[in-house]
Amino acid sequence: MARVRPWMLLTPALAVLAVLLLWPLVQVALFSVQDYGLREIVSGEPNWIGLGNFVEIFTSEQLWAVVLPNTVVFAVLSVGCTVVFGTAVAVLLASLGRLWRTVVSSAIMAAWAMPAVTGTYVWVWIFDADRGVFNHVMQALGLQDAPVNWFTDRWSFYAIVLLNVVHHGFPFVAVTVLAGLLGVPKELLEAAEIDGAGPWRRFFSVIVPQLRQIFAVVIILSTIWDFKVFAQIYLMPGGAGSNREVLNLGVWSYTESFGQNRYGFGSAIAVLLTVLLLVITVMYVRTILKEEEL
Amino acid sequence: MRARTWSRTTTAVATTALVALGVTACGGSGDDGGGDADSLDVWIMQGTNPSADAFFDEVGAAFKEQTGADLNVEFIEWADAHDRFVTAIAGGTTPDVAETGTTWTAEFADAGALAPLDEYVAAAGLDDDLVEGLVEAGTFEDELYGMPWYAGVRSLVYNTEIFEKAGVEPPTTWAEIEQAAKKIKATSPDVIPVAVPGDAEFTVYPWVWGAGGEVATQDGGTWTSGLHSPEAQEGISFWTGLAEQGYSSAGATTWRETDVLDAFAKGDVGMAVMGSWTPGAIVEANADMEGKFAAVPIPGKEGGMSPSVLGGSHLSMFSTADDQDLAFEFVELMTTGEFATTWGEQAGYFPGQTSLLDETLASTDPLVAPFAKQFVEAGASPPVSPNYGDVQAKLTTSTMMQSILSGSEDVATASSKAAQEMTSLLNSDN
Repeated sequence: MARVRPWMLLTPALAVLAVLLLWPLVQVALFSVQDYGLREIVSGEPNWIGLGNFVEIFTSEQLWAVVLPNTVVFAVLSVGCTVVFGTAVAVLLASLGRLWRTVVSSAIMAAWAMPAVTGTYVWVWIFDADRGVFNHVMQALGLQDAPVNWFTDRWSFYAIVLLNVVHHGFPFVAVTVLAGLLGVPKELLEAAEIDGAGPWRRFFSVIVPQLRQIFAVVIILSTIWDFKVFAQIYLMPGGAGSNREVLNLGVWSYTESFGQNRYGFGSAIAVLLTVLLLVITVMYVRTILKEEEL
Repeated sequence: MRARTWSRTTTAVATTALVALGVTACGGSGDDGGGDADSLDVWIMQGTNPSADAFFDEVGAAFKEQTGADLNVEFIEWADAHDRFVTAIAGGTTPDVAETGTTWTAEFADAGALAPLDEYVAAAGLDDDLVEGLVEAGTFEDELYGMPWYAGVRSLVYNTEIFEKAGVEPPTTWAEIEQAAKKIKATSPDVIPVAVPGDAEFTVYPWVWGAGGEVATQDGGTWTSGLHSPEAQEGISFWTGLAEQGYSSAGATTWRETDVLDAFAKGDVGMAVMGSWTPGAIVEANADMEGKFAAVPIPGKEGGMSPSVLGGSHLSMFSTADDQDLAFEFVELMTTGEFATTWGEQAGYFPGQTSLLDETLASTDPLVAPFAKQFVEAGASPPVSPNYGDVQAKLTTSTMMQSILSGSEDVATASSKAAQEMTSLLNSDN
């Protein structure tokens, strides 16, 4: 009985997860090995084609030249920027008094609370070619002669997405790291200071090792979020597929599934994305665990 | 058909649709399997007619009187509509009757979701009274699945104040368009002389057709896109050339038709290719524009007219409808006679019944007559194929336009790529 009891308590949660998470996951995996279109949806008949979808993905020039680089490079940059900036803000918050800490954290909470869609439209508006603030300022400063459409170039497009995603993602990092910072024993820092360690040294040699697990959580979650970024790209001008240079895995999967009614192919892309994220997470967690053992 | 046109018009994020009328507590659904045939569920696209609520109140009352059944109308956003249809088809929760864009009807019919209407149309004696272009678009494998409801066409809309200031007359040839743009640029430097949007495929085809090219043609079951033919390239070069000479704006490279409408309504645009349904929306967005704009048919290269896309909607009956006779009574009520005329007038569209169309064509309204002329004398259809929705969703033409307008590819390269993609999508066996 004692062995069964925990499972009994877990059953409701597991049942909900199975229905909401596991079943769709299995369905996507099943679709990914079929040529599944509108006709199959209506008839309900399966249409197995084995690994055909995956072969098509891996032999697609678009994957290697555009989609994968966009997804991976963007994720690496945005995770890096989010974590560095979020940690910096956390350190700032930790050094502030009660009043200013409340003010600053309310401000960053507003950025966090803003829905991705709303945030994206704000950034689109800022960089709009004809009426945007950015072009206006650049022209007023004499840095450019005529308005520039920043959404048509792959690099400037992703620079805007990066701003958007970091702006939306750093508050979570800041708040989580702040919680960790406040838990670092004061004695350790004092001891380090007496031993002659400067602020940088104290941060990297005392605080960071103390926060390793917190950084692990923050980095893994940010990686997952930034790999599957969708709305922030899809809603940008040209991001829905008319600018093929800026496709990432999420948008590619969506446009193939719902635009082309190729639910099988789209599912295969989604499976690929999931596997990629699982591999990264497992590798990262293993590294952390190994370091702990040392 | 205009999934792109109206995508994200007002409320981009709205995934919920409004129930306009007949929202009674029971809200009887036609799909809940049998017995409940006293109501009819209908999906209508949102944004076509600004007075849609009041219109359907009247239709509901008339329908109740005629059949004794309640009418449940649900408004669907164009941007979500395709996904919602597909999900509903998958889950067996389709409405009894729905408005389907003309390029979707064949696709849904191909999927087996729609019921053929030929018998009903014949019984109602409407065979010879339906607008041909819409019948063609609603026909799949020789059966009619889409009842012609309304259609519109795009012409050249221009700002009369800006034209007067520049001292130019409405253009009648391509050379005159360029001349007018040049003079507007000189006299009103802050204005965009001619908007060349990058994400609006139906503003591109008139130039392709006007130069003698084809979007795609079918020969013995095989489609071939002609977007890269010398004629088509000439048309595309003319249109994108206007932007290259600085007569459009950098922002327009990523504009949709809704962005063109916004800019035009602000008085920032000299001329643009816009739909017969837009005059109402322009005045609604900015009351100051009333009386300050007019339209002409899209000029032909050396005079005459360039053909423009006829776009519109069908009313389709889903095969899940419990009571198909009742469903067709509604379809007939909507697409013929008084209600069809009223809808057309309120929304700025032309009715799908030939006898009603003739009345509209006699109009002398300066914001109706030029469109009517274009509609009758120079209307054209995009490729009628169940796969054309795939081409639209792939944004093939928008991709071509954006890479030309942003300068990343020349017309020859971009149009060859687009033609290749369109040909392969139209011939694919999805």
